[in-house]
Amino acid sequence: MSSEEILKLRQEAVAKLQSIYGGDADMVIADARYGFISGLLKDVLKKPPVERLSLSDKIDKIIVNRWLGIPIFLGLMYLVFQFVFTLSVPFMDWIDAFFGWLAGYAANISPDWLGSLVADGIIGGVGSVLVFVPPIFLLFIAISILEDSGYMARAAFVMDRLMHKIGLHGRSFIPMLLGFGCNIPGIMACRTIDNPKDRLTTMLVNPFMLCGARLPIFILLIAAFFPENQGIVMFSMYILGILIAILMAWIFRKTLLKGESGHFVMELPPYRLPTIVGVLTHMWERGKMFLQKAGTLILAAVIVIWFLSSMPWGVEYASADSWIGHIGNFFAPVFAWAGFDQWQASASLIFGFLAKEVVIGAMGTMFAVEEGLLGNVLATQLGWTPLIALSFMVFSLLYVPCVAALGAIRSETKSWKWTIFTAVYTTAVAWVMSVLVFQVGSLFV
Amino acid sequence: MNKKQITVALVGNPNSGKTTLFNSLTGARQHVGNWPGVTVEKKEGICSSGGYEIKVVDLPGVYSLTAYSPDEVVARKFIIEEKPDVVVDIVDASNLERNLYLSVQLMELEAPMILALNMMDEAENRKYKIDIEKLSAGMGVAVVPMVASKNKGVPELLSEIVKIAEGKKSCSGVKIAYGREVEKQIEVIEKALSEDSLAGKYSPHWLAIKLLEGDEEIIRKFEGVSGVK
Repeated sequence: MSSEEILKLRQEAVAKLQSIYGGDADMVIADARYGFISGLLKDVLKKPPVERLSLSDKIDKIIVNRWLGIPIFLGLMYLVFQFVFTLSVPFMDWIDAFFGWLAGYAANISPDWLGSLVADGIIGGVGSVLVFVPPIFLLFIAISILEDSGYMARAAFVMDRLMHKIGLHGRSFIPMLLGFGCNIPGIMACRTIDNPKDRLTTMLVNPFMLCGARLPIFILLIAAFFPENQGIVMFSMYILGILIAILMAWIFRKTLLKGESGHFVMELPPYRLPTIVGVLTHMWERGKMFLQKAGTLILAAVIVIWFLSSMPWGVEYASADSWIGHIGNFFAPVFAWAGFDQWQASASLIFGFLAKEVVIGAMGTMFAVEEGLLGNVLATQLGWTPLIALSFMVFSLLYVPCVAALGAIRSETKSWKWTIFTAVYTTAVAWVMSVLVFQVGSLFV
Repeated sequence: MNKKQITVALVGNPNSGKTTLFNSLTGARQHVGNWPGVTVEKKEGICSSGGYEIKVVDLPGVYSLTAYSPDEVVARKFIIEEKPDVVVDIVDASNLERNLYLSVQLMELEAPMILALNMMDEAENRKYKIDIEKLSAGMGVAVVPMVASKNKGVPELLSEIVKIAEGKKSCSGVKIAYGREVEKQIEVIEKALSEDSLAGKYSPHWLAIKLLEGDEEIIRKFEGVSGVK
């Protein structure tokens, strides 16, 4: 029998069953499966007559409470950032001091150009990124604890109602939470979303989640320009990322990706006490990528940046006349309305496309200083104010995802169109938002 | 002499402990998370038992074998196309009703399967009493109670895997009663399918069920052959 005939036979059968059962065949079949299971379990499974509320259920009465759920989520996030900031400062100071000493030592290497490559380029660039190992690893510890304890699944559950309002469901929040570590696993996790439009929407907005690689930009600028309110400014950056993601998802669901959203029953795993080994393993799994990047991609990028800063031959290192100065100056006017139209800013943003840590690495290389002094240099040499720093942070938070994240979007959507779209629209959103911040902010400052 | 090889697929609902079991079988250290959806790609590892080299494949956690989301497609494709020697269905013993829905669908696939009844400790904490013998008889498959996170039941599972791979134990599973009318239609389609080329790869019984369910991927396969749009 041909395929055509079989398909026709199928339609007849479905129609016949519809007339008998008054329902779709798939429902009838699913009912039969459930019937089989409940029949089987009558013999097999004996539950206690009254099921006690388990400890998990008791905790959930508070954690996923209608009114308390979101405040608890926000409170926990705030605690996480406080934890990360407070605990990492001494470690960062040690690493910074170490690289400062190393750079002073390396600067004496001859010939001069080699000394400059090692001291200004490699130590200035890679060093300013490695300083952020403590906060990044601490963040990963915090995320692992939240994950292993079972809280993350609750966070998604708590957000479910809000997500429904924007045409997604709480399930879409899980990839977004994963994006806090790194956007790539976040984008991959979208595979668990069954509705294709939900899935694509969730992928498209994932890059707005402030990933670990962007953390250095914020920690550095916040420490330099907002020393009084570090925790709250950091926290606002995370919230801004979530809000923009939710807003864009809502817009996509109303325009490009209109349609019904899928149904999903959220599953809440039992609370479990995280084990030290488990938490450290997860921290290392996530964190080792960061170290590998520092030794490979970021090292290569800062060497290229050093080279561009030193060329043409004989130019003053990292001056406006160097090649990187020309590149930066070419793009700088774009950022005039956003307040950071200095060529160093646009040059580091361009190289940040390779990996977001490079934004800081590039600045470290161009100004040939370690992380500890970089904030001051931005204020004194570029004349940055807290408002300009804020505008720059907003732009770095939102603009084009790094090459690897775009690669993940490409392989998950199998579409160059959506990949390029993501690169373009995120940058457009970033530009609009940073201009908005700077222009509105200028009215008050 | 080369060891004989057995391929084992691990399937189960999200958060039922597949990756924990995978790690304790293979000594791997894959990320185990306490939330659904941690494994989205299949992962492979090797272990050995009873003179066999056992290739273990950890499939993404799924609630069913429909073709709606990419992770379900990955799991289903692997079982159908790679035809693993044994499918180990990991079931959360503290959540039997929901977990068995996937098991029933695996039985429909007529895959050689074992039910790994995981998280027995949680079920005991809740004072659930599970009659393993009856469960095994009722499903027509071997049932191994275990606590994968504490390595309990892992040797027993391995020996069951070897028994099934050697063909020493039946594992076909029982046939579900869908009701007379549905079964009549299944039979009609199944008969028509017996001459179809797709039936070589898939079990005709399963194909017939999927066609009745309106499974998009399967229907597309037939449309592809006939050129109907």
